[in-house]
Amino acid sequence: MTDRFELRRQDFRLDEDQQAVREGFGDFFTKQVPSSLVRDAEPLGFDADLWQRVVAMGATAMALPEAVGGDDATLVDLVLVAEELGKVVAPVPLVSHVVASRLLARAGGADELVAAAAAGERVVTLALQPVGGTNRQLVPDAAVARDVVAWSAEGLTLHTLAEPAAHVPNQGSTPLAWFDPAAGERTVLVSGPDAEQRFRSAVAEWKLLTAAALVGIADSALHLGVEFAKTRRTLGVAIGALQGVAFPLADVVTEISGARNLVHKAAWYATHEPQTRPDLPLAALVQAAHAATEAAWVSAHTQGGLGFTVEADISLFFLRAKGWSVLGGDPGSDRRQIAAALLRTF
Amino acid sequence: MDFSTVELTADQQAFQREVRAFLDEIVTEEVHEHERRTGDGFDEGVHLALGGRGWLFPGWPVEDGGADLDRVCQRILALELAHREVPGVTQGTTRLVWSGLQLSADPELAAELKPEVAAGRVRFCLGYSDPEGGSDIAGATLRAVRDGDEWVLNGSKLWTTGAHNCQYTFLITRTDPEAPKHKGLTMFLVPLDSPGVEIQAIRTYGGERTNAVYYTDVHVADRYRVGDVNAGWATLQGPLSNEHGGGRIADGLEDLAGGFTYTQAFDRAIDAAARWAKRTTRPDGTLVADDPVFLDRLGALVVSTEASRVTHGPMGRNKASLSYIAGIAELIDMVGPEALLAHGSDGAIEDGVLEFAHRWAQGTATYGGTTEVFKGMIAQHVLGLPRLNLPGSKQWVR
Ligand SMILES: Cc1cc2nc3c(=O)[nH]c(=O)nc-3n(C[C@H](O)[C@H](O)[C@H](O)COP(=O)(O)OP(=O)(O)OC[C@H]3O[C@@H](n4cnc5c(N)ncnc54)[C@H](O)[C@@H]3O)c2cc1C
Repeated sequence: MTDRFELRRQDFRLDEDQQAVREGFGDFFTKQVPSSLVRDAEPLGFDADLWQRVVAMGATAMALPEAVGGDDATLVDLVLVAEELGKVVAPVPLVSHVVASRLLARAGGADELVAAAAAGERVVTLALQPVGGTNRQLVPDAAVARDVVAWSAEGLTLHTLAEPAAHVPNQGSTPLAWFDPAAGERTVLVSGPDAEQRFRSAVAEWKLLTAAALVGIADSALHLGVEFAKTRRTLGVAIGALQGVAFPLADVVTEISGARNLVHKAAWYATHEPQTRPDLPLAALVQAAHAATEAAWVSAHTQGGLGFTVEADISLFFLRAKGWSVLGGDPGSDRRQIAAALLRTF
Repeated sequence: MDFSTVELTADQQAFQREVRAFLDEIVTEEVHEHERRTGDGFDEGVHLALGGRGWLFPGWPVEDGGADLDRVCQRILALELAHREVPGVTQGTTRLVWSGLQLSADPELAAELKPEVAAGRVRFCLGYSDPEGGSDIAGATLRAVRDGDEWVLNGSKLWTTGAHNCQYTFLITRTDPEAPKHKGLTMFLVPLDSPGVEIQAIRTYGGERTNAVYYTDVHVADRYRVGDVNAGWATLQGPLSNEHGGGRIADGLEDLAGGFTYTQAFDRAIDAAARWAKRTTRPDGTLVADDPVFLDRLGALVVSTEASRVTHGPMGRNKASLSYIAGIAELIDMVGPEALLAHGSDGAIEDGVLEFAHRWAQGTATYGGTTEVFKGMIAQHVLGLPRLNLPGSKQWVR
C-alpha cells in the first residue's frame, strides 16, 4: 500500500506487442482447444499433444530469462497468455510449469533441467505450501511432473522423482497429486532467508497467473450465459430482457472488469516495482476467484436445467472455476496477508 | 500499461507546492465544519478562490478564465482537492451543465456566462429528477408553454442539489405532451432568481442538503432555451453521458472507475479502522490488529476497494457504490459501537469518520442514476442483452 494520493499513471492500455501476445495466444487456444478436447482430457486434465503445440507456440520458453534461451517475457505478457488459456480451460500445466521453471532458472537449477523445461520435455511444478515435517500436500500438476520444487526449513529444494506421482481425481479435472516430501532425489537449490523469499514470490506469481486464468474462465462462462439469455424466450420475450436475469449478468461483467484490471495492475507492479505492492497478486486472486465462481454459477443458472447438465459447456467452466481457484489454498490466508500489508503502512 | 509515478518537471513541482500552499490557506477547518453543518457540497469562499486562480476549469486557456494547465498539473490539482476533501458537488454539476451549454446553448448566452462560470460567480445545478420518479428522466412532467418570446413554466422538481447556491438550473421540461415521450422534451437554463421559483430544503441522513424546487408561472426568455424545441432528449445526452462516466481521456491521468470518489471515501473509513485496530486492545489484552479473524475480514474489504478502483467506467460506479454500502456495514460490525459515535462525541474514532461513512454511503447508489438504472445500461450496452419494452418505454404515461 502506498500513499493513496500519489501521482501515478492509471494506464491500463496494452501496447502493440502486448496486444499481439493476447491475440496470438487467443487465436491459438480458440482454434486448438474445442470443448471436446477438454472433455477428452478428463479426468487427468492433461493433453500431451496439446502440450507439444503449446510448447511449439513458445509458451514455455518465453517466460525464461534470455541467459537460458528464453525471451524474458514479463509477467504482464504471461497474464495475457494465462487469461487466454483460461478462456478455453486448456488441459495443460502451463501456469505451474512456467512459475516453477522461472524459479529453477533463477535459483540455479541444473542447466539440462532448465533447458528440458524450456523445451517442455520435462514438466516442472511447485509445492505451494511450505513443507513442514513429513506432511504430504496436494500439488497442482504433480501428476504430470517428475520435478517438484518445494520449500522447507532446509531451503528451496528440487525433488526429482522416477516418475510423476499418482493422479488423484478431483472436481476441477486437474493433474493433482499428493507430494511426499521424503520421496525422490533431493537437491537443495538455495538455503536461508533468500530461499524463503524466492519461494514466496514464486507462490505469488503462481497466484497471479492463476488469477489471470480465472478471469478467462469467468469471461467464457459469462459469454455462454449471455448468448443463452439473448435467444431463450419466456412469456414472449427473450429472458435476457428480464431484469431478474439481466442484472446478475451485469453484476458478473462488473466483477470481471475489476478482476482483469487488478490482474494487469498486479502484473505491472510485480514486473516493475516488485517491492511496492506485494499484496496485489493476492488481491487479484481473491477477486478473480470470486468473479469466476460468480460467473460460472450465474451463467449456469441463467441456462436453467440445461445449465446443470454435463452436456452443457458451462459445466466445464463451473467445475473448474472452483477447481482451479482452490488449488492455492485457503483465500483467508491471502486476505490476512493483504490486511497485514495495509496495517504495516500505519 | 503504466502505473509508474509521474516524474514532475521543475515547473510541475513548483505548481504542486503552490497548490498545496494555496489549499492549506483556503481549505480551513472552518470549511469542513461548514460542510458538516450544511451538507451543501459547496463553499462559496473556496469556490471563488479556486475560480480566481482559474482552477475551476483548469484546462481552459487563461483568456477564458482557466489556468491553461497541462494534464499532469490538472491531475496534481485534482488529487490535492480530493485529498483535502474539498466540497465539490456544485463544482461538479456546474462543470457537467457547462458541457451541455457549450454544445447547445445560444452562443451569445454562452459567451456571456463563460467568464462568470470560470470565476465561480455563476454556478449551475441539475433539474432533471421529477417528484414522480427520477429514474425515468424522459418521463419529465414539468410543463413549459410558449408565450411569444417567452416560456411559462409550471411544476416541480425534486433533488435539485445546490439550487440555493446556484444562479441557474439546467431544467428538463415537457413542451409537447402529445408527442412520443422522448420527442416532447425541451431543456432550459432557468435563472433561479426568477419570480415564481421557490426552493425548499430536503435533508438526507447522509448529511446532505438537497432541494425541492417549485415553479409557478415562471417566465423565461427564449434565449435561455438550450437546444431545439422538443429536442431536449438529445440536448441532455452530452452531459448525461458525462455524468455516467463517458468522455474520459485515456492517458492514464484520470480515474478509471466511475465511482472513484466513493472508493476514496471508503478508503478513509478503512484506514481509520486499521489505525484503530493497531492502537486498541480487546478486554483480554490482545491487540485487535493481531486478531486473525479481524484481519481476514479487513482483507476482504481491501480487496473490494482494490477491485472497485480498477473497474471500468459505469461498471466501476456500481462496484464502488455497492462494495462501499456492503463493506461499511461490515466495517462497523468489526469495530463495534465505537464506530457509530458521531463527530464530537467522547471516543469518536477519528472525528467520527466511520459513523459518517455509514450514513453517507447509502446515497451513492441513488444519485447520478440508481445502481439499477446502471445495471440496465450495462446489460444493454456492455453485454448486448435485449431491452425490455414496457408501456412507458416509448410513450409518455402519467
Ligand atoms: C442526495 C441526492 C442528491 C440528488 N441530486 C440530484 C440533482 O442534483 N439533480 C437531479 O436531477 N436529481 C438528483 N437526485 C435524484 C436522483 O437522481 C434520483 O433520486 C434517482 O435518479 C432515482 O429517482 P427517484 O428517487 O425518483 O426513484 P425512482 O426512479 O422512483 O426509483 C425507485 C426505485 O425503483 C428503482 N427503479 C426505477 N426505475 C427502474 C428501472 N427502469 N429498472 C429497475 N429499477 C428501477 C430504482 O432503482 C429505485 O430503487 C439526487 C438524489 C439524492 C438522494
